Amino acid sequence: MNFFSSITKFLFSVKVAYAHCDIPCGIYDPHQAQLAAHTIIRMINLINDLEIGENPSVEERKNFIHQISRYTKVKEEHAEIVKREIRILWGDYFKEEHLKQYPELNDLVFKTMKLASKARQDINIDEALSLLNTVQKIAEIFFKTKNLEPVRVPAPYPTFGEIVLHK
Amino acid sequence: MSLITIFKIVGHSMEPTFFQGEKALVSNIPYLFLKPKINDIVVFYDTKTEKYFLKRIKKIKKEKFFLEGDNTKDSKRFESVSKKNITGKVLLKIAR
Repeated sequence: MNFFSSITKFLFSVKVAYAHCDIPCGIYDPHQAQLAAHTIIRMINLINDLEIGENPSVEERKNFIHQISRYTKVKEEHAEIVKREIRILWGDYFKEEHLKQYPELNDLVFKTMKLASKARQDINIDEALSLLNTVQKIAEIFFKTKNLEPVRVPAPYPTFGEIVLHK
Repeated sequence: MSLITIFKIVGHSMEPTFFQGEKALVSNIPYLFLKPKINDIVVFYDTKTEKYFLKRIKKIKKEKFFLEGDNTKDSKRFESVSKKNITGKVLLKIAR
């Protein structure tokens, strides 16, 4: 490095400044990701429950397509919410020491991202349940890192699954 | 830290003052002579995340600076920092 470039680097350098709302305020919660995973399950159930007769009228077809479109839109949106919420936990909350303590975390996050993508692409209830399961495992690890005992309780939703809270 | 640093903005919490992708010219020279004051836009270094953040000083209390973004829809969370964490003051905006 010559003298001129050293001086230039000393006087001017370009860096990144984040203008995020996530000033490290310490407010993180896996609840939203769980809620979104439950919503995906609910949307898949609603899609699978939709019925249409053998020779539907134009009106019936319109209603059918309309409902399918609405459920699919919500399913896709909530798959993205899962990804966003887990990414925030992964990027902003979890630290290296958490990874050492919970080595399965890396794989869980990876699987969650992939399953959330599959939840957008497919209407597969087994994949959606797997997604909820990985999100719940991440939630349990999250609470453990806060020295809180995680507990699975019945979710008060029509999905009849569980939700991870803490004692 | 250079005397003058150009920061590229990532995020939306300082809109409409700074939009994502715009750049800010930041210097620590003003704070060698003057104390940071309310309404100054500053860049501070967060040691926990090891990242720089761009925010506006909203309140000063007992040598602690409370920062907030201009976009209240996106930036509702307050954080206090001490002067040693303030990297510099925004001198001007470099539009995209």
